[in-house]
Amino acid sequence: MQAFSGLVSVLIVFVWLGGNQVSPLRPICDLRVLDHFVREARDSEVIMRGCRGGCGVMKSYFVPLTRVDFAVWEHIDVQSQAVEVQTGLSLLVQALSTAKITVSNSPLASTLDNNISNIHSLGQILHSLDLQQARSTVLPDDSAPASSQMQEVSSLPELLQVQSSFLRGKVRLLLSAAPACQRQNS
Amino acid sequence: MRKMRSDRLQVVFMLCLAFVTAGGKSFERKVAQLLQDKTEDPKCFVEGKKDLTCFWEVEEERNLHDRYTFMYSYENEKKMACVVSSLSLRASNKTVLFCKFPQALFFTPLNVQVFRDGQILYNRIFNVENVLLLDPPSNLTVMSSGKEGQLNVSWLPPPLKHMDDSMIYEVRYAVEGSHMGKVEKIKASTTLVLRGLQSDTRYEVWVRVKLDGVAYDGYWSSWTDPVFAVTVPTDMDPLIVLLVLFIGLILCLLSLTVILSHHKFLLKKLWPDIPTPEHKFPGLFTVYKGDFKEWMSQNNGSMWGRSVHVYTEELPSPVEVLSEVSLTNYSTSPREGRKPAEKEEGSERADSGLMGGWREPPHAQWLMEQLRALQENPESFSQSTLLQSHDTYVALNQNSQHVQGDTERQVDDVFEETLPLQTLFITAGTSSLSASHSDLGSLPQSSGSGRLSSQSSFEYPNHTWPPKGPGYAYMAVADSGVSMDYSPMSSSSIAELGKHGIYTNEYKNEIFGHKWPFSCQHIESGY
Repeated sequence: MQAFSGLVSVLIVFVWLGGNQVSPLRPICDLRVLDHFVREARDSEVIMRGCRGGCGVMKSYFVPLTRVDFAVWEHIDVQSQAVEVQTGLSLLVQALSTAKITVSNSPLASTLDNNISNIHSLGQILHSLDLQQARSTVLPDDSAPASSQMQEVSSLPELLQVQSSFLRGKVRLLLSAAPACQRQNS
Repeated sequence: MRKMRSDRLQVVFMLCLAFVTAGGKSFERKVAQLLQDKTEDPKCFVEGKKDLTCFWEVEEERNLHDRYTFMYSYENEKKMACVVSSLSLRASNKTVLFCKFPQALFFTPLNVQVFRDGQILYNRIFNVENVLLLDPPSNLTVMSSGKEGQLNVSWLPPPLKHMDDSMIYEVRYAVEGSHMGKVEKIKASTTLVLRGLQSDTRYEVWVRVKLDGVAYDGYWSSWTDPVFAVTVPTDMDPLIVLLVLFIGLILCLLSLTVILSHHKFLLKKLWPDIPTPEHKFPGLFTVYKGDFKEWMSQNNGSMWGRSVHVYTEELPSPVEVLSEVSLTNYSTSPREGRKPAEKEEGSERADSGLMGGWREPPHAQWLMEQLRALQENPESFSQSTLLQSHDTYVALNQNSQHVQGDTERQVDDVFEETLPLQTLFITAGTSSLSASHSDLGSLPQSSGSGRLSSQSSFEYPNHTWPPKGPGYAYMAVADSGVSMDYSPMSSSSIAELGKHGIYTNEYKNEIFGHKWPFSCQHIESGY
């Protein structure tokens, strides 16, 4: 009887844990998903270039650094890369959300919504690859950027350019080098 | 020790030189290739994850380094200068100045500027990940797959980590020596199967690479050196051969079956039998061995019945004159007798208008004389040539019918033309002649030579003519098959007939027994 009750309690614990936590995702190693996000980020740039009115206001946004020196990058460990990517994605989400408020042009607003959604999906992908570190790295708007991995842009076109470069660069490099995917390939 | 060290240094130096030379050649080739591209100056390319180069063409050959200055700056960074070098392209005989960057940063805007004599010449902003110009693929291998018209192509991509999933390739292939080549594009794979090739043909294959443009972009690499391969020769599929043989066998069997089932019909059509008349002559060849006379004698009745049937289908034709009587012993006497007889007749004609247009034939008098002689000497007359058909003739004239009036003269003319049959009847004496003339005239019929039928409606005034033998009243008729009816008629009917001139007599010939030279034969043949 005691053994039975113990077993039942263990089962209950497992159910609770399972309810609270997100079930482990299968690793998404196909980069075509990311390529799709990259194309949609590029579409935002194109729409931005053609936008005539209601295209947002001049405002500074804190965005991640996008430059990649392969000589340096390849020597950084994956986890550090993951942190950097995750931070950068958070910054981008914040900046895009802020910019979207000032946009009245519907196509542009729509594509910005798309981009925000894509970045959230990237977060899920990173989680599936077991690369998601801190859940929330959102910084308050008024706080100064302390990290050297941030830069400031002063317009929405620049913001969109940064998003595109970030996704094509660091995010992609991280996903392609994810150990979970390397284990699958080998 | 020293000697060993120096040797090692030499080897290292040679390897480095070779590497640099090879790299230099590759670099020169890339510069030459990009020089033809229509991108803005300065033309920049990155060969991999590093080695970013920008170059521009110059015309002067002297003092190049003094005049030109190259400056670059990454985003949010200060400007930096780059060392300018010159390169002479042997192929195109052109000179370029280039700058090799010490560091290549991707995914960030780069600003480059070229100054000539302190004046800005070129100014360009670009991202480095968009100007990738890779080396061509290596280790290109082309092999026959064993199947007809196919070749397996494989290669190795440029050794660029993280970029190989963004590469696309172009495979070009052509028949050796031909200028017509086809190109196949392929993504995310380093092998390809070429299909639809000619059998037993030597092919050339080239490959080049480029980034796909999503994460990275750039220019097409140069083509690899060609690799040759030969496709397998045409081989007949054994299954097809078997099927063809099987179908051929079935067709042969079918045709054989058709031929055998219809061989008689086919033989008849292709090799017809020579027709034989055996079926028309039953028993001729089997029983009588081809003896036609024997066979005829046996099958006489049936044969003649048929021929008679044939003959009876013929239309009746008018009777023709047999022959002229040749006057022999009696030639003079009849003539002598004729003249007075003619005279008498002529007078009689004049006297009695009954004769009308009746004209007596010239031999009538002679015949009458003969008959008179016969009456007197029946024995001698029996041997007269009157019995000979070649001495007799029949004058065909229907004028004898007409007895009455001149009005019938016209009719007589007609009758003379149409129905020239006339019976000559000789009676004793001229008086009887005249009477007999009337009788004769009223008699349209011609009695057959030989015995007369007892049904004859002759009126013999004197009854001196016993109806016996063929001597006294006869006629030789050249009958060519005509059927004439000499049925007994009354004088009144005869007179009527005389008027109308219609012959409705039926000729009943009973001369089968007699051997008349030719007329009888004709008659016999006719009946």
